[in-house]
Amino acid sequence: CSDDFLDVDPRENIEDVDSNLDPEFYVNSTYGSYTEWDFAFSWLGVTEMISDNADKGSSPSDAGGDKNLLDALTHTSTTGSIQAMWTRFYTTINRANYALGYIENYDEAYGLDAAYKNRLIGEAKFLRALSYFYLVRMFGDVPLLDINESASWGVRVTKSEIYAYIEADLQDAISKLPNKNEYPAEDLGRATKGAAQGLLAKVFLYEEKWQDAYDMAGTVMSTGGYGLEADYATVWRESTENGIESLFEIQARGEVVAHGVQQYSQTQGARGTSGWGWGFNTPSQNLLDAFNAEGDNIRRDATIIFRGETLWDGREVSVEVENPMYNEKAYTSFNSGDGDTDKNIRVIRYAEILLIRAEAATYVGGDAAGPLNQVRNRVNLAPIASPTVQNIWKERRLELAFEHDRWFDIVRTGQGQAAMAADGKTFVVGKHELFPIPNAQLIQTPNMTQNPGW
Amino acid sequence: VLSAQEDSLRIDQYSVEELSDSLDGDFGLELEETVVVGYGTQKRGDLTSAVSSVKAEDIMKQPATTAMQSLQGKLSGVNVLNSDAPGATPTVIIRGMGTALNGMNPLYIVDGLVVSNINNINPNDIQSIDVLKDAASSAIYGVRGANGVVIVTTKRGRGKTRITYDAYAGVRNAMNMVDMAGTQEYVQYFNEAEAAAGGIEFLSTSQPYNTDWFDEVLNTGMFFNNSVAISGSSDNFGYYFGVDHFAEEGILDDNKFKRTTVRNNNDYKLFDNRLRISQNISATFTHEIPKPFGAIDLAYRQSPLMPVTFADGTWGVPNYNVETGVAGPIGQPMNSHGNPVANLYFNNEKINTTTLQGNLEATLDIVDGLSVTSRAGATKYWYNKRAFAPLLDQWLAADPTRTEAQYTGNKNSLTFNEIETFRWSWENFVTYTKSFGSHNLSAVVGVNAEEQSIGFFSNMTGYNVPVEEQYWSIHHATGETTIDQNNYTKKSLASYFGRLQYDFDKRYFITAIIRRDGSSTFYDNKDFWGTFPSISAAWNVTNEEFLKDNGVINFLKLRGGWGKLGNDNIPFIVNKINTSLESNSANYVFGPGQDLIFGAYLGSPVKDVSWEIVKEYGGGVDFEFLSGKLFGTADYYHKTTENAILKITPVYSSGFNEDFYDHAAEIVNKGYEFSLGWRDNTSSGLRYSVSGNINFNDNEIVSVLPAYEGMMGGSLGNGRLTKRLEAGQELGSWWMYEVEGIWQSDEEITNNPHIAGAQPGFLRYKDQNGDGVIDDRDKKFFGGYIPSYTYGVNLSLEYKGFDFSVTGYGVGGNKIYNGINNARIGGENVSMEMYNDRWTGAGTSNTNPGAYRDYEASNYYLEDGDYFRLSNVTLGYNFRDMFGAARNMRVYVTAQNLFMITKYSGFTPELTRNTGDQPYDGNPYGTTGVELSAYPTIRTFLAGVNFEF
Repeated sequence: CSDDFLDVDPRENIEDVDSNLDPEFYVNSTYGSYTEWDFAFSWLGVTEMISDNADKGSSPSDAGGDKNLLDALTHTSTTGSIQAMWTRFYTTINRANYALGYIENYDEAYGLDAAYKNRLIGEAKFLRALSYFYLVRMFGDVPLLDINESASWGVRVTKSEIYAYIEADLQDAISKLPNKNEYPAEDLGRATKGAAQGLLAKVFLYEEKWQDAYDMAGTVMSTGGYGLEADYATVWRESTENGIESLFEIQARGEVVAHGVQQYSQTQGARGTSGWGWGFNTPSQNLLDAFNAEGDNIRRDATIIFRGETLWDGREVSVEVENPMYNEKAYTSFNSGDGDTDKNIRVIRYAEILLIRAEAATYVGGDAAGPLNQVRNRVNLAPIASPTVQNIWKERRLELAFEHDRWFDIVRTGQGQAAMAADGKTFVVGKHELFPIPNAQLIQTPNMTQNPGW
Repeated sequence: VLSAQEDSLRIDQYSVEELSDSLDGDFGLELEETVVVGYGTQKRGDLTSAVSSVKAEDIMKQPATTAMQSLQGKLSGVNVLNSDAPGATPTVIIRGMGTALNGMNPLYIVDGLVVSNINNINPNDIQSIDVLKDAASSAIYGVRGANGVVIVTTKRGRGKTRITYDAYAGVRNAMNMVDMAGTQEYVQYFNEAEAAAGGIEFLSTSQPYNTDWFDEVLNTGMFFNNSVAISGSSDNFGYYFGVDHFAEEGILDDNKFKRTTVRNNNDYKLFDNRLRISQNISATFTHEIPKPFGAIDLAYRQSPLMPVTFADGTWGVPNYNVETGVAGPIGQPMNSHGNPVANLYFNNEKINTTTLQGNLEATLDIVDGLSVTSRAGATKYWYNKRAFAPLLDQWLAADPTRTEAQYTGNKNSLTFNEIETFRWSWENFVTYTKSFGSHNLSAVVGVNAEEQSIGFFSNMTGYNVPVEEQYWSIHHATGETTIDQNNYTKKSLASYFGRLQYDFDKRYFITAIIRRDGSSTFYDNKDFWGTFPSISAAWNVTNEEFLKDNGVINFLKLRGGWGKLGNDNIPFIVNKINTSLESNSANYVFGPGQDLIFGAYLGSPVKDVSWEIVKEYGGGVDFEFLSGKLFGTADYYHKTTENAILKITPVYSSGFNEDFYDHAAEIVNKGYEFSLGWRDNTSSGLRYSVSGNINFNDNEIVSVLPAYEGMMGGSLGNGRLTKRLEAGQELGSWWMYEVEGIWQSDEEITNNPHIAGAQPGFLRYKDQNGDGVIDDRDKKFFGGYIPSYTYGVNLSLEYKGFDFSVTGYGVGGNKIYNGINNARIGGENVSMEMYNDRWTGAGTSNTNPGAYRDYEASNYYLEDGDYFRLSNVTLGYNFRDMFGAARNMRVYVTAQNLFMITKYSGFTPELTRNTGDQPYDGNPYGTTGVELSAYPTIRTFLAGVNFEF
């Protein structure tokens, strides 16, 4: 009877379960984490400006916090953009972890439709895998987060364990997620089976599991129902959002309340007189030269805004803007300079699946030319009959420029030193392959080790 | 052994007459004193555990609004930190700090009833206070005993009718004020900083104003207290009736505090004293007009160039004319701080509280030695605060060029905060006492049920009410109104307890306690029941044959014990779910229409937090030598908090972004307590006693959970942190740069490791790890803010009708961070000490920075916190039977805090107040120990009179 006396109903705060929030809320916020400001600024620094494709941009006097350091490859463990992404990835993983726990608890308490439950689990795992993939690419060995086990927060586990964890998440997501065409319309934009397969193919590529990458890319090609947009220039426009080429995008809308990757277009919009943005993350001369050397005018003109040109929507880019080139893939016609972009950020698209297939094929002896030339054909480039892996690397660079992959591609393929030297930067072998673990994290968890060379 | 209430009837009620009598003759009396130990009493000489006590006379001697203030320096191991603010609650820490946050206060028991504090008790109504310091004694209160137990027993009627009247009145002012720079020095300092920073806008040396801000905001405070008590008893009925009124005007303009208490304690004896009923009722009313202590902080920081008001009557602002460098209403600001006097003027708040408390107790003797007691009690509390903010006037005051026409916001706001709470308890216990030859046995077993936090709060705000105070209600607000009301989650506690005391021939004593507590707070956890045992033993050596009739050793007892305790007064754990319409972070868009879909996430982890567990062992010796002239105790204790709860700032790799509470560390407090005294009479009629006590406490974090180790805290509010959690250090240890001089030249800076932006005149920090870079890795530990020893000294003299007593209190081995000196934004005033010692160019100083300096946390601002205060000096004279009906009249004068000896350069190293007006939250990784906001120590002079009829 005294136990009954101690069973007191809470009044002050509504308990977790009583709040009765549909588990979908927690999955939604995991997507939401990908629309945070970090992905509009810090992310540009650690994926693009650091590479040979892009320069810092803006004005010489505006360092963009620390973007000048990343651009010059002089970043350190205290570079804020690196810490911001580190924290952001863990925030996202945390939300996915909590969602996964909540889904189970909710199911136990109230019951969930099995298909719905599977879908939610698949979405959370896909989003978690994506963040782990970003983490492991940048930092190598990283903590494997258990939100309930604080001891896990400060211990790095090996890169291979993280990759195994990502694979397991994606395999489970593949088994649970519906295909893109199986979703009701209002759920367009959620993670799909194809998205998980595409990401897994890419993960295999980074792991150099060539046969697996080849097979998984093949699965997407044969069963996903995806294809290429006819006109490359439209691939990054609002008109093709969630279209045939899209495996996964970060969703955005322009109307009030606006919602998208916060300020993604604004940070990269043309700067100066008649400009509409801050002018960061500008195409490098090195990239322009690469397009020109290949005679790749279609992709060049779809990727780069030139000072003084007239854009596809009729906007005249003043000759007064501060930099000669800007990133056209970040340009949005509707709310170009507004706080939130209305542009969906393409994370995985079908052209990359073809290139993964082609690259893996060069190692496993499959058909590399077929998928490669589909990509080249769209932009009126001559087919290559027996492509080398170098051909495919170059194709990746031009096809996927400003899609946040270039730096990791040159590191992955061992081109770092040469590529950066060609861009006038010094890539220190044995150091620059990984980013430094943020200093602030090491102060918090002194037993965590730093990456070599930092 | 008698029950607590019955026995307290036998304890002499305090009176001046008896105070004097007690000093006559036999000094061994204290051993026969009764000590209340929870659900019973014991003779002091029979105790097996560490219990300290004070009697009414000690409390009466040091007039204070709450009795705990009077205890400072009187009891070893009981550390009382006083706050001099009117109506404030002192912080009490017993035997070191091992425990969490706001749950570090001792458990208070008044006449057997658990209460949340004793602020509502008139000190004049208190008969005795007994402090259970060790686990061996506190275990009777189980899950709530970890911080020690303070047991208050109020007075009861006894003997013939007695009327007492006590009154005192006094004045207060601030002491140990920091000497601030005047106009000339301020201008010089400001211009030096401006020049060093590369600025070109200087102040003129010719200025129209020279304001002493402390003069402007501080007054001499006054207070008055009147207390009347009537008590007495007949064979079957005893009564005590007391009324007290205390009124204080604080040292800040218009700061007021009033308290009225009424108490009635009655005792009834029925059926030949076989049934005893006692009833206690008290009512306490307070009325307070608070004023923001932030005004004192502003007075420290604001420039003396700024006037209180300009010639045209507008409020002063810290502006100066850029062309002429002269202060005036127009121009650019010297600093970003407000007007201290306006800050006080615009603050319009009042707080009323009412506390009703009472209990009813009945004890029935069933057979000889066996009695049963039932006790029920309750506390009801109402709090009501009203705050009026003249938003328009405040807006206008911030800039003399503003006009009313430009203002678009609400003209004023009116806020009410109301709290209503109720708590009750009901306990029943059986006491059995029996002696068989030399075997003495006493046992108590009982049950307790309790509920607290039954109630609600409501906050209401209305905008734009009429300016006339009579219309200050939300009903008359013409602007927006908001309301927030919530019910508290009540807390239930169920307990079973038992204690067995046995002694053989008054030589060998043993006590065993067990308590089992269940708490509703932890009902969702697996373990919401906990068992808390203790065992202790004592050997009274003086009762052995070989020491009988010994002329030197009158009393000698050895004690030792072990116990396990809990602390369930843990912070309320909230797992906040964040979900918001505007939040970019939580929401997302889906579908062809890209509809905005809401999301939710959790800010901090869900932690299975339960009570803290404390295990303590210790032992001691009590002695009286030389016919009781020399007396004392010595104790050792070792107290381990196995799962201390700390407020954790999550690490980046956790993915959480909000602080949370968790069991994070194991903390050990160990130390010694000594008290020693001497008392004697001389043949000339002088009676005197001298005593002292000291407590050495060593605090150490034994271990920390992995991801919590390395946590930083102690924010200076400017992005700089001063503390770090690490095993092997003490709780709340300082962690910062070590200063190794002052940069003298640019060349020196270029050639040595330095922080970014270093300039000549800046503090130079040591590159501890020699990596050529100054960063967090170069910070080191500098000890903590917790004193390693605290001590008190007491002297009392009586000669003829005169009585004279002195009490002093001190601490040592602690460090205080002078945050008000360090955390500057720019343009603040400085102390004369900083001004005079400053660096003014190469070779002028290698210890003190120049006017232009950085604001990193470093040991330059960390100072010794040792202090000694002469806390009380009292001189009195007794007129016995000299005035008609009055049996006695005593007049006395008292000085409190006559002086303080400290090397600390700020206001006071006795910090109970931290940021702004926030009360001391006790979080060792918060700002505790950082003086961020000035509040001076107060010196008091008072005169009083006691009549007894």
